Amino acid sequence: MKTTLLHVVPPVSRDRIISHFPKWYTPEACLQFKDHFHTQVGSACQRRNTGAVGLKISKVVVVGDLYVGKTSLINRFCKDVFDRDYKATIGVDFEIERFEIAGVPYSLQIWDTAGQEKFKCIASAYYRGAEIIITVFDLADIQTLDHTKQWLQDALRENEPGSSFIFLVGTKKDLVSTAACERTELDAIHYANEMQAEYWSVSAKTGENVREFFSRVAALAFEKSMLMELEKSNSRMAQIGAGNLINIEGTSLEASETNHQANVGCC
Amino acid sequence: MQAEQHQEEEEEEEGEGGGGGGGSEPEGTFRKSPFQLTVEDVYDMSYVLGRELHKIGSEPRAEVPARVAQVQFKVVSVLEMLEALVNDSSLTVEALRMERDSLKREVEELREQGSRGTAEQVSLGPNKMVVDLTDANRPRFTLQELREVLQERNQLKAQLMVAQEELQCYKSGYMSQKQDPVELIRKEPTVGSASGSGSEEKTIIKRLFGFKRPR
Repeated sequence: MKTTLLHVVPPVSRDRIISHFPKWYTPEACLQFKDHFHTQVGSACQRRNTGAVGLKISKVVVVGDLYVGKTSLINRFCKDVFDRDYKATIGVDFEIERFEIAGVPYSLQIWDTAGQEKFKCIASAYYRGAEIIITVFDLADIQTLDHTKQWLQDALRENEPGSSFIFLVGTKKDLVSTAACERTELDAIHYANEMQAEYWSVSAKTGENVREFFSRVAALAFEKSMLMELEKSNSRMAQIGAGNLINIEGTSLEASETNHQANVGCC
Repeated sequence: MQAEQHQEEEEEEEGEGGGGGGGSEPEGTFRKSPFQLTVEDVYDMSYVLGRELHKIGSEPRAEVPARVAQVQFKVVSVLEMLEALVNDSSLTVEALRMERDSLKREVEELREQGSRGTAEQVSLGPNKMVVDLTDANRPRFTLQELREVLQERNQLKAQLMVAQEELQCYKSGYMSQKQDPVELIRKEPTVGSASGSGSEEKTIIKRLFGFKRPR
């Protein structure tokens, strides 16, 4: 796509500013226990020594059975709305959500895929290069939890092993009693551990845990890509030796750019 | 022995009935094959038997036993005919019953094939679908077309997002500063390469639009 416009972006809204590392939902199924950013990342952010990471956009893919509430979850987070009526997603849809994490701009490109079988062949083409895979099920429909394994398997097939963070999310928390939710969570946590995923229970209708969840997603994705960037620029520095700092920044930008193109692909 | 008796009896009958030429004809029905009998023959037999019985009543006593034997013989032959007919008819009934059953089955099969046939005619195979061309909601676009439309939609949506963000900047008077803080942040560490900021911005856009082309 060609555009000659200089893209200016307004500052991110206050609730998209993440300065402390967001906490997990349950310690029994979480990707990491730290409550602060990696020291290297933290100091790099403080020094504004973030290379091209500020330009970084991470790809999130949301998968799961039809009618579990993938679109509702995304709409609650990105638009803060909830539509009671079900409208099947056709193929794929996406949202871009901007954050400011540890003072650094960062975006999530959230891909909402259709749960209907007939769209699978279209949606699956968008699985590639996902830094985050969110597998969603309905807390009130245990069968949809069973199916998350297959959804994850399909999504992982399109990605390098170990290249994606995996989340397992139970939706419609408002529809089940606390006791029922806890029972289902036990199963879900078991699944999450098998999938090496972090578990969250949310409600798009009430908004419960939705922002916390996506903040967690963004922070984890941000830290991972920051660490990758820093590793890259460090190895560059080692190669070049004691070069000019400005030049090094430039090089790291280039390096990250090729990396992005490889990750995100291009239209 | 029986045949001889029969013969005798017949001769007697003929001898007795001398005048009536038609008398020998009813007698002959007793010799007919049971399978060739007609209703007419049955009436004849009935006539003969009735006549014999009548004779028993009217003849001298001494002749009665002989007459009875004759009638008995006739009755036995009628019963034999009846037996043969009953045997034959039960066989026929059995044969007909079987034939009826097989025809029933055949009809059922044909009916089934008929109802399936109407479906088969249109479905052509296990993985085929029938499309009603008059249905406004019939499937008519290919997967590739849907993919392209979706891609175009996504690109337009991305453009809209960019435009909305810019509009927001203008509205908030943010653009009057001609710089955005994000850009400033980015520029800070790369002060030396200010000229690169334009291309840098473009790469942001590219990245925002960096949608994967589905295979």
